[in-house]
This record gives sequence, structure tokens and C-alpha cells, in this order.
Amino acid sequence: MFSGYFGNYLLNRGLLTLEQLKDALDLQNSVHLKLGVLAVNAGYMTPAQVYEIHQLQQKADKKFGELAIQSGYLDGEKLESLLATQKQGHLLLGQALVDRNYLSLEQLLEAFEAYKRDCRLSDKQFQALLQGDTDEIVKALVDLGDSPLGNVYSGYISLLVRNVVRFLGESPRLQDNPTLPDYSDKMLACQEIGGPFYMFTAMAAGRDTYLDIAGRYAGEKFVDDSELARASFGEFLNLHNGIFLVNMSNCGTELEMKPQEVHNGQVPTGLRGGRSISLHLSKGKFELILHGKGL
Amino acid sequence: MDARSFKIMLCDDSILVRKKLKESIEKCGSFTILEASDGQVAVDMYREHRPHLVFMDIVMPSRDGIDALREIKEYDGEARVVMLSSSGTRSNLAKAVEAGALDFIQKPWEQAQIISIIARVVREREVQNV
Repeated sequence: MFSGYFGNYLLNRGLLTLEQLKDALDLQNSVHLKLGVLAVNAGYMTPAQVYEIHQLQQKADKKFGELAIQSGYLDGEKLESLLATQKQGHLLLGQALVDRNYLSLEQLLEAFEAYKRDCRLSDKQFQALLQGDTDEIVKALVDLGDSPLGNVYSGYISLLVRNVVRFLGESPRLQDNPTLPDYSDKMLACQEIGGPFYMFTAMAAGRDTYLDIAGRYAGEKFVDDSELARASFGEFLNLHNGIFLVNMSNCGTELEMKPQEVHNGQVPTGLRGGRSISLHLSKGKFELILHGKGL
Repeated sequence: MDARSFKIMLCDDSILVRKKLKESIEKCGSFTILEASDGQVAVDMYREHRPHLVFMDIVMPSRDGIDALREIKEYDGEARVVMLSSSGTRSNLAKAVEAGALDFIQKPWEQAQIISIIARVVREREVQNV
């Protein structure tokens, strides 16, 4: 999950080309995390100290950890914690970038810090991102305020992220949008939810992304707009909303939903106003649009 | 029992759900499958064909599944109707039980749930016919 956010950040900052990012993302599945990267990430060593140990390794047939302890940069406890972290995946993209010489270790460390700063992430939020804690990621990346409706939106978006992973097989990257997008040329799946409060929910996607989502959900390949593809796109939203209603019901709030509708380029009146959050997938992005009242 | 003589009706407004559910049922045997896209169509079809088992969605455009279930049970108190919905809220569960649903399956369903329900109703029918 972190790789998607951080990779996109590096791309937008011009620190990587798209080809380099694709290459590193492909490579990250096979790279082995090196202790030097982990030690810098944990703040135990500086890049210069890691470089020094690498130089020593060329002269002595000893392991990185052993030499770092000898040099006084690590102790046994720190080494143990790094070895445990070595099994975690969140630094794999960074390791792949360093392995490919797309970034130096110093540049990687600077980019991590700049990412935290630019995204205004606290250490806690950054850790949540690294660990894939969806609820915290939504709170960190989407400005929903502290209103009761904001809390409902937050739970709704977190659930959608989990359902995208569960039913579409990919971890999406979230992006908060300050204004509603132009959805006149998009395929829209819409569904209203009512009860103690009202929510208009919609997913909007361009043709290719709509067909991709419909295909993934149905387990089929759609190359053209069709009744079945539209049904699949709408059913994904319907299923998500159904699970949301069950969650709300388990918390004591009974809601009902109307049948979902799928429109091509038509703008339902319920979409005037509201919030928009982009969910980026490998084949494109779709917009989640929420418009609620009554809380 | 000849599987063909066992009639199963699916009622869901989504063509995708009907397709996938049909595929799930066909994995269990060569039953006769009827399809309805709305609650009212399901009621009319039930009266005409008297299926042995019905899988019914709840949220549908012109007539919802709970309403259709009530009318089917009024017509035939022995009707075997399983609600199949993404919205398994406490309220919907209570309404389904009150209206006489045989069971409630939350979407997405597991193949084992479909097999279990069909096997149960087929067995019941065989016992009745002994």
C-alpha cells in the first residue's frame, strides 16, 4: 500500500520517470531488504555510516550486522529489531530504487522525510501508512473534519478501500479532491442511502477504468460497454453499500438503500455538491462521490 | 430424484447476480432454473411454476424482495424462499424471518452455502415423497 503512495510522490516530484517506477515496482517483489536501508530508516545509522560498512564488507568477509556492531553503530538489540523488520514489505520499493541506482540511499532518506513533511503526516500517521492501517490512512489523507457526517464518511471510505482490495484485488491509492470532478463523460454508478441520515453515493470512472472494474468484479473481461458490464459496475457499489449498512446496523444505526443505478454521462441531481475522493488503481482512477445530510 | 424436476427460481434485478448465481446452482446439479428480475415478476412466476426453492434479493426497483416474499408465503405457506442480499442488516433479517424466509444469505455468497441450502430442500422433498 505504501509503495503506491510513495512511488506516485516520487513521480510527481520528478525524482523518477514512469519507466523507472514501473521497473522498481516490478523488482520490489523479488528484492531482499538490506540491513543498511532498514538501519537508516529506523534512524540507527546515517547513510554515510552504511556506506562505510559496505566499504568494510569489501575487505572483510563479515556480515553487515556484525561489522555495524563492531563499529559501534548498532547493538545486539537494534540488530535483532532490524532483522525482524527485514521480513516486512513496506521498504521494498525503496530497496528496489537503490538497487537499480535510481536513487542513492541519501536521496531515499530525504524523499521519505520530504514525503512525510509534504503530506503533513505525523510519525503515527506515517507508521499507519507503512503498516497499511486503512482507517488511519483515510484520516491522514482525506480532510473530513470532526463532524458526525465526517466520521461516517471516514468509515465509509475505509471500508471502500478494503472492499477494493477484497473484490478488485488491488490496494488503491487515495487522493482527496478539493472540488468535484467533471463527470459528464464518465460512467456513474449511484445509490442512495436513507434512514436517520441521508447519503448519496456514487462511483464515477472513465470508460477504460469502468470496464476494468466491472471485469475484475465479475471475473470476466469486458472490452465494450454492455448490460453485463454496467450491472457489474453497479453491483460492486451495491455490495459495498450493503456491507456498509451491515456495519452501521451492528453499531445500532439502521439504514436502508435504494436500488443502484448506472448512468452514462448523465448527472443525477443528487451529485450537486458533496465530496470527491479519487481511488487510483493500476489501470486508472475512479472517483468516489459522497453527498450527505441530516447528521 | 430427477434433478430436472426440481425447480429453482432466482430473483435479482442484477443480470450479473443472476448469471453468477445460476453458475453456482449449476455446479450443484442440472436443476430447472427460472429467472425473475423483480419482486412482482417473481410473484407471478411463482404462481405459474410453483418452484421448489427461491433465492430472492431484497433491494429491487419496483417491488422489493420482502414484499414479494410476503405475497408468495400468503399464496403458498410451504414456499421455500431464501433471501440473498448484500444488506443483511438487523432490520432486514428481522423482516425476512417475520415474513417466513427459510434462510438469509449475505452477498457475496459462498458456494458451500448454496450447496447446503439446495441439499437441504432436496432432502426435505425426498422425505415428503417417501
